[in-house]
This record gives sequence, structure tokens and C-alpha cells, in this order.
Amino acid sequence: MTESLYGPDQAQGIWVYLEQQGGQLEGVSLELLAMARELADETSAELTGVLLGDDVEALANDAVAHGADRVLLGQDPELAQYRTEPYARVVTALVAEHKPDIFLLGATPDGRDLAGRLAVRLRTGLTADCTNLALEDDSRLLLGEVTGFGGGILATIKCEQHRPQMATVRPGVFTTGAPDESRKADIQRVNVILLAEDDRVEVLERVTEEGADLTRSKVIIAGGRGTRGDFSLLEELAELLGGDVGATRVAVDEGWIGRDRQIGQTGFATRPDLAILCGISGAMHFTVGVEKAETVIAINSDPEAEIFEHADYGVADDLFQVLKPLVDQIKQAQAR
Amino acid sequence: MTTKETATDVLTLDDAAWEQVVQATGGAAAPCYQCGVCTASCPWGLVKDEPISVRKLMHSAQLGVDGWGDALWLCTTCGLCEERCPRGVPITDVIRSLRSVAWRQRNEPAELRTLLWGTYWDGNPWGRPPSQRNQWASDLELPRFSAEDEVLYYVGCTASYDRRMQKNARALVALFREAGVRFGTLGDDEPCCGESVTSVGNREYAQEIIDSTAQLFEEVGAATVVTTSPHCYEMFARRYPNLSDRFKPLHYTQYVAQLIDEGRLSFEHEMPMRVTYHDPCYLGRHSGVYDEPRRILEAIPGIELVEMDHNRAEALCCGGGGGRMWTETPAGERFADLRAIEAAETKAEALVTACSSCISCLDDSLKTSGMEMPVFDVAEVAAMALNAKPAEAEPVGAPA
Amino acid sequence: MSGTNHRDLRIICCVKVVPRPEEVSVDQDTMTIDRANARSIINPPDMNLLEMALQLKDQHGGEVILLSMGPPLFDEYLRVGLSLGADSAYLLSDRAFGGADTLATSYTLAQGIRRIRDERGCDLVLCGEESSDGATAQVPPGIAEWLDMPQVTYAGELSLVDGHLHAVREVKGGHEVLKAPLPAVVSVRVGVNEPRFIDFERKAWAENEAPVTVWAADDLDLDTEAIGLTGSPTSVSGLGQARSVERRREVIEGTPEEEARALFEQLQTFLRVRA
Ligand SMILES: Cc1cc2nc3c(=O)[nH]c(=O)nc-3n(C[C@H](O)[C@H](O)[C@H](O)COP(=O)(O)OP(=O)(O)OC[C@H]3O[C@@H](n4cnc5c(N)ncnc54)[C@H](O)[C@@H]3O)c2cc1C
Ligand SMILES: Cc1cc2nc3c(=O)[nH]c(=O)nc-3n(C[C@H](O)[C@H](O)[C@H](O)COP(=O)(O)OP(=O)(O)OC[C@H]3O[C@@H](n4cnc5c(N)ncnc54)[C@H](O)[C@@H]3O)c2cc1C
Ligand code: SF4
Ligand code: SF4
Repeated sequence: MTESLYGPDQAQGIWVYLEQQGGQLEGVSLELLAMARELADETSAELTGVLLGDDVEALANDAVAHGADRVLLGQDPELAQYRTEPYARVVTALVAEHKPDIFLLGATPDGRDLAGRLAVRLRTGLTADCTNLALEDDSRLLLGEVTGFGGGILATIKCEQHRPQMATVRPGVFTTGAPDESRKADIQRVNVILLAEDDRVEVLERVTEEGADLTRSKVIIAGGRGTRGDFSLLEELAELLGGDVGATRVAVDEGWIGRDRQIGQTGFATRPDLAILCGISGAMHFTVGVEKAETVIAINSDPEAEIFEHADYGVADDLFQVLKPLVDQIKQAQAR
Repeated sequence: MTTKETATDVLTLDDAAWEQVVQATGGAAAPCYQCGVCTASCPWGLVKDEPISVRKLMHSAQLGVDGWGDALWLCTTCGLCEERCPRGVPITDVIRSLRSVAWRQRNEPAELRTLLWGTYWDGNPWGRPPSQRNQWASDLELPRFSAEDEVLYYVGCTASYDRRMQKNARALVALFREAGVRFGTLGDDEPCCGESVTSVGNREYAQEIIDSTAQLFEEVGAATVVTTSPHCYEMFARRYPNLSDRFKPLHYTQYVAQLIDEGRLSFEHEMPMRVTYHDPCYLGRHSGVYDEPRRILEAIPGIELVEMDHNRAEALCCGGGGGRMWTETPAGERFADLRAIEAAETKAEALVTACSSCISCLDDSLKTSGMEMPVFDVAEVAAMALNAKPAEAEPVGAPA
Repeated sequence: MSGTNHRDLRIICCVKVVPRPEEVSVDQDTMTIDRANARSIINPPDMNLLEMALQLKDQHGGEVILLSMGPPLFDEYLRVGLSLGADSAYLLSDRAFGGADTLATSYTLAQGIRRIRDERGCDLVLCGEESSDGATAQVPPGIAEWLDMPQVTYAGELSLVDGHLHAVREVKGGHEVLKAPLPAVVSVRVGVNEPRFIDFERKAWAENEAPVTVWAADDLDLDTEAIGLTGSPTSVSGLGQARSVERRREVIEGTPEEEARALFEQLQTFLRVRA
């Protein structure tokens, strides 16, 4: 068996990788802190956040407020933008020094990029894109719940002998806790030592404020002719759920929304975790574009509409009358 | 590679292309004398400022030059130009042949590749899971075809997977059962007939599909094969080898009309409805089947059939053939919009047709133009008529 | 694209063959994944990487080499790739490779790549974004680490400029443009292109003559402790059917307010998704 840098007997503590962009911690990092806090309390372990970047000290305080007992803060102009190799270099050194037992990262593009590299460098196991985490009863091993085969199969994965037990976690599966500004914790600045070879890849340009790319959207609120051109509630709902608005060809043809929002045979094939389809009849030319969605909700005033055959949950009612209270409830819940 | 000057508006000749084009078209364009009737006939001229120059396409086929641009892929293979051509040029076959050259040169529109891969991996151009092909009939307990059956019912890819079109297939099953037809299907093992691949012109792949589907038909002892779609029918009738003396492909309208003639199927009850019938290109112009669907409709007491301005051989295409179901046609350029207006002008209560592409396109255009006219398949209307009770003669789904 | 001297580009394409997801089920008694009756396909994202590789070959010339780890039945699928335009294929096939997690899979593939690199050269390793079965997306960065090559994951566009790779890579909410030296490992975003169809002029060759070299464990320079089940730190401790391929088709009924409330309950997990 390939051996990891250290074994279970030396390992201690739970680590969360704190991904940041544009002066903010990623939502999934906060969610992980909340979840990891519970695991840490359950096992009386210390919860450490690992934060890399340039001039990101303020974010360390956010991490503390969200539950970290300690933040390892690595700052360097070379770390200003995420790049696989410099980040992997710094994190590897920290892991080798502190020997965490569990190491969690968000399953974002950058999180998966880094985790995949690190796991091999550390010669340890990595559980991908978890939809839940738990500790096994007696062993206290980390159990990661993952899906495979297009969401059809659930598997629980563990890593018995190798440390750290690594996992990436899908954004949105855990709830962000309320920040507690009174929490005090140890913010440790760490040395950043990079090698020349870490500089192989150069970032020529980075743009993060782009329009929706429906093929990558995780949440899609789509409207058809039934909206009669009023997409305002759909947009509001999309905003609340961190998603994007899509449409049928009819809605696009009517000029209610741009062609970059068309879903279907001659539009985009989408693969969101959630699609809410409003006032859409369910023509095959449309439904082929949402068949890979994990969960589909349909709202259509016609109880006989085909779309209900393509939905996990169907509401046969006027879309405006249903969306309005739904949006209100979500707003209330989020205000709390 | 050498280039020669020619006197045409197409400037260069390239030997490799020449060989490919001439070989692919097999001289089919030779009789063309460049009169331009085809260009003038093409419905694209009705929706676009610039009609597609069919004449030039034929000329390039004669000369063996390539470089046809988008025009080649706009063609819906509706056959209207062919119908009118004074020289009998098989224009749609020439166009398919030119497309086959374009595939070889890798000049095909990228979106058409999904149709081929869908057929390759999934056995249907829609790329739907093969294990779900027979799901539409899960509650119908359809028997598996055996050689003793009267009919092999070939459902086809679209009627198998498109929920709207499944209704046509279910209606047809109801008609078969009413007439006591001994029929079976091939269930999940039903192969694609290869029509979409043929119409977008990937000739080599189409031939593979034809060979393997024909082989399967032979193995199961298919004789009378009844199809839901006119496209599948045209394939079996015109592009498949004659499998045996008994091999007899029929479109369902032909078969149902025959059942009526034989007295095996009749409609007892009155179903008052004014309908107009749209001739699908592949049933009408390509296969010459104009009367049978009309005869079925007229066999239903109460049905009043009114014709649109353009009907039979002159019918206007829905815009869905020739691979156009896989490519976007901008609003304002859809033939079906024009056809919807013609249909509305008849003041019919319903538009009836016998092809899934026509239903998709016409229904879409009728709705988009705000016309409240339902679109039915002939089989659906006939099945409704079977169920029509003397008391409530209103057809299901038709406006009051 | 101009400005490259890369006349003899060697692109290794990692291609996986996967069972059709809707034909796989969990055998609850043995707690194993039952894929015996499932038909196979080329991992759909890998079709996108093949198209990317073939476009690079069209522009710069060179060779496209397929590499896969799996049972002998993969041979047939590699030949599909050859009929599209790939030049040769390697299949790493040995019972000892079975049961590998991503650490062992990426190691085995990396050792295959090393041997190909030694024998034929290698400028670029292309992978798919993720597989449609395990879907970890961990193999590409894993290969890069084993080979000590730079990596670019989620790449949408690739070009070669003055012997360097320029890649447009997806990041949250946008993209970045990266410049990397060759050789590099790239995972190609699913759906970035429409994969070309079979080239019928190559088909007979691809099916009958094209070289598909099979390497067993002995043919590679391997640490036998690092492959297959033995070399895999992770293990599966539970399996379940998450949902059937069918939609649930549950109907929510009531007044609009009640329906909204019921939807709200269903949305709980998504409500946490906040940018
Ligand atoms: C070649 C071709 C390609 C096509 N490609 C695409 C494509 O890529 N994408 C695509 O979407 N379509 C495509 N179409 C069109 C497709 O066939 C359908 O016509 C279209 O998807 C229907 O859009 P819709 O559901 O918005 O409209 P409709 O079919 O008119 O449905 C509107 C629905 O809204 C419901 N409704 C009305 N009012 C309300 C209300 N107040 N509350 C709730 N529900 C209400 C109605 O009951 C109805 O079911 C294509 C068609 C063709 C022919
Ligand atoms: C439901 C399920 C969950 C799993 N979860 C985990 C997990 O959390 N952690 C873990 O370590 N393992 C996991 N595995 C095992 C993992 O799937 C295998 O290790 C597999 O061999 C490689 O991973 P992948 O399929 O996820 O590939 P990915 O990393 O998703 O594949 C990306 C690309 O790598 C290339 N590639 C991958 N495999 C091959 C191959 N055999 N041949 C050629 N190229 C290839 C392809 O280009 C592919 O597109 C899981 C398996 C299943 C079935
Ligand atoms: S109508 Fe016939 S003869 Fe006239 S240009 Fe067209 S193809 Fe040629
Ligand atoms: S077949 Fe129809 S669409 Fe094609 S060129 Fe002729 S008239 Fe035009």
C-alpha cells in the first residue's frame, strides 16, 4: 500500500480550506466551517481554517466568527490569485507540519483542482463532491456521502489508514451558521515558501463578473409562454436561490428574454441540481434540455400538462399565485 | 491539385471535389437545364429576402464544384421544387448527395452531429436512453412481433420518445385493436430506420443503419410493416432493399384506409368537426399518398374536411424535414407560420396531419401566432371517433 | 493559429468507457453496483476532449494517442476514437488494476503515459472534465501530480502559442486565461464542442488494423503496492439507490399558499446556496 505522510495515530484536528475571491470567503467555505464545527465539537477536536491569498487578513476574522478555533494565514503577492501549484506547495507544507486528521474543501472548480492535486501529493484518499458528511460510530472515521452514475447511486466512502481524510463538499448542502463576532481565536501567519517550479503556470487574465452560462448553472428558473412575458418573480427567485433564469423558445421568440437563455433541442442542454419550470407545457424540444437536471419542479395551471411527466414535484396552479408567496417565504427565512 | 477557370459564378474547380461531387450525385443533376423553376418554387423565398438558389446548387452538382454555403443545409427536402421541375431532376437526392460530400469534407453544421451520435449510441436521433424506447407502451401489453402476425408495427423513434407523439402511437394501437389486427412490435429492440441520418446526408452511416435494420427485419420475418411516421415509411419503401416478396412497408394511413375498405374498421358515431388536412411532404410528394388520410377522415360521420389553398402536391412544407428539427430556424423564417395562417383561413376547428414533425412545427406556429387551433394526428382523430358516444359528440380537446 | 513550431505534437487522450447510467442498479443484497446488464458508452465528456485533441491535430499536425485503463471490452470503444481521427491507442488492462480509486487510477494512467512518453513523446495529456460514473474529476489533477506536470482543469479553449499552451479555464462566475509550458495535463470542459462523427474513410482501418496496444501490469514500471484495490486509500462502506432514473411525479396540491409552503420545504437544501 502507498503510505501517506503520516498515519492515523499522529493525526489530529479538522481543517477547512477557506476559498476566497474578490475580498470575500466563498459561501461553501462558511458552510464547511459550520459543519466542521459540529464535527469538532463531537470529537473535541480543534477546527482550523487555512486561508491563502494576498491581503486577506480581514477574512480570517470572518472565519473565526464562523467557528474556526485557529486560522493558518498564508499571505504573499504570489498567492493573490489562485494557482494550483503555489497553493498546493503552501498547503502541503502546512499539512506536513500540523498533520490534520480531516481536511475539507469546497467542491468548486478551484477547490476540486487543488484537492485533486494535494491528495496525490499527500498520498491520501479524497472523497469527491460529498452531499453529506458524518462520523462512523465507533471508529470516528469520516464518512462522505457521494452520488454517482448521474445521481442514480449513493455511495458512502471512507479512508481508513491514510491521513488526512480529505473530502470536497458540494456547495449548498450545509447551512451557513450565524457569525459570532465575539469569538476569539488564534490567527497564525505562516511562512510562504515557494519554489521556482511552482511558477510554471501564469494567469494572463481573470474575469469573474460574467453573464450566466446556463450549461453550468446549478439552479435554473425557467419560464415559458405561461409567464406572458413577466419574468420578474422568476428573476427574483433565481436571485434568492443563487441561480439563473432560462426560457423556452417561445419566450425567446416573443422577445421576453435573450436567446442566450434558451433551453432545449436548439437551445442549451443544462445539468442543474434544481430546475423550476414555470408556465412551460413540456414539448420534447424543450424537455431534452432539462432531462439531466437532478430535481425538477413544474408549475403549470393545466393539470394535464405534459411537463408534469418530466417533474419530480408538480404544482397545477397559476405560477404567479404560487411564486409570490414562495418568494416571500424565502425572503423571510433568509432574513432570519 | 489543379484549378481551372470556368464561366460560371462559381470560380474554381478542384479535381478532388469534382470527383467527390460527381461520384456522390451520380450524374443525377445532368438533365437540369437551369430554368430556375426550382428556385422560384422554394418556400425559403417566402420567408427570406434571398431565396436559396436551388438552381445554383444543381449547377454546382453538374460541374462538380463544392462550396455551397448555408443554402445546402436550409433545404427541408420538402420536394416542392422537384415536383415542379420540368426536367424531373431528383433535386432532394442531389441535395442529400451534396451533403454527403460536405460531411466528407467536414463542412457540416456542428449541431447535426448530435443527431448522428444520438443514433450511434442510443439508437435514436434524440439521444434518449435505448432502455426506455418501449416505455410509452408499458401499460398496453403490446405483443412482441412474430412472423405469424399480420403486421409489424414500426413505432419509430419520435413516436417512442416524444410524449406528444406517443399519443399518436397509442391511438393507432387502439385502431389496430378495434379492427382485430394481429400485430406486434419489436419493443426496446426496435432499431432506428435511419431517416434523419439519410436526410442530413451522411450516406455511409445511413447505409450501415439500413443494412442492420434490414437484417433484423429479415430475421424476424417482417412482411407488412406499418409505420407511424411517413419518414420511416419513405425509407422502407424507397431506400431499403426489397427484403422478400412479402416485404410490404405501409404508412399507417394506407393500412387504416385498407382496414376501412375491408370493413374491419368502421365509425358508428357522429363526431361533428370541421377539419383541414395538411399533407406531410414525405407522405404526399415523396410517396404519393394523398387520398388515404382523407378517406379515413371522410369515413368518420360528422367530419367535414376543408382544404387549404395549397394542398396535395402543392402543399406547403412545415419546415421540419431534412434535419431542420435539429437546427434553429429564427422566428419569422418558419414555413409553419405561413401554413398556420392558411389553416386558420379555412375556419376549421382542427388541423389534422399525419407526421410528428408537422405536428411539432405547426402546433408551435399556431400557438405562437395566437391561434387557438389544435393539431391532431389522423390516427388520433380516428381513435376519438371510435370513442365518440352518440350523446356527447364533442371531440376530446377540440374547442367548444 | 500561427506562431508555433510544434510540428510534431503528441497528444495523449485519456478516455474512459462507462456503463449507461440509467442501466445500472444497486444490488441491495450484495451491496455492489450491478452493471452486468448495462450497455457501455464512451464517457460523454471524453468525446469533447477527443474533439479538442483532433482540432489541435488539424491545426498543428502530429499524433493523437488514446489511453485507457479498463477491461478488454474497452478495445471496441477505443476503435471508435481511432475512427474519428486518433492515430493509435493503448489499453492498460490487468486484473491487478481493478478496484482502483482515483489515487491508484491516476497512478496507473501516469505510468502508462510515462512509457508512451519515453517511446513516442508527449506534449499534452487531455482528460475529460469528469466521468459519468464516479464523477470525481480527480484523475486529471492526479495524473498531473504523479507526472509533475502543470495542470489546467475545466478548460474551454486551448491554443498553442510559441510552444506554450494558452487555456481558457472556468472559474466561479467567469473564466481565466492561463499560460502553461508543455507538457501539461488538461481537463476539457464537458460540452465545449460538438464532437465530430466517424470518418468512414478511417473506419475499416480503425476496426481491423489500427494498433491498440494492450499493456498489463508487467509491461509498466509499477509499484505493485500502488495499483488497484491495494493502492486505494478510499473504500466504499455503503451503497444505495439514490433515485430511480424516473422522475418522481409527485403532485403538490392545495391553495397557492399551501403549495408555496410545500415547495418551500422541498427547496430547503437549495435555500442554503447563497453566493
Ligand atoms: C425545430 C424546432 C426546434 C425547437 N427547439 C426548441 C428549443 O430548443 N427550446 C424550446 O423551449 N422549444 C423549442 N421548440 C418549440 C417547442 O416545440 C414548444 O413549442 C415550446 O417549447 C413551447 O414553449 P412553452 O412551453 O413556453 O409554450 P406553450 O407550449 O404554449 O406552453 C405554455 C404553458 O403555460 C401554461 N400556463 C399558461 N398560463 C399559466 C399560468 N398563469 N400559470 C402557470 N402556467 C400557465 C399553459 O398551461 C401551457 O402548458 C422547437 C420547435 C421546433 C419545431
Ligand atoms: C459512485 C462512485 C463514487 C466514487 N467516489 C470516489 C471518491 O470519492 N474518491 C475516489 O478516490 N474514488 C471514487 N470512486 C472510484 C473512481 O470512480 C475510480 O477511481 C475511477 O477509476 C476514476 O475516477 P472517476 O471515474 O471519478 O474519474 P474522473 O476523475 O471523474 O475522470 C476524469 C477524466 O479522467 C480520465 N479517466 C478517468 N478514469 C480513466 C480510465 N480508467 N481510463 C482512462 N482515462 C480515465 C478521463 O479522461 C475522464 O474524463 C467512485 C466510484 C463510484 C462508482
Ligand atoms: S427546376 Fe429542374 S431543370 Fe429547372 S433549374 Fe431547377 S433542377 Fe434545373
Ligand atoms: S426541397 Fe423544398 S426546401 Fe429544399 S430546395 Fe426544394 S423547395 Fe426548397
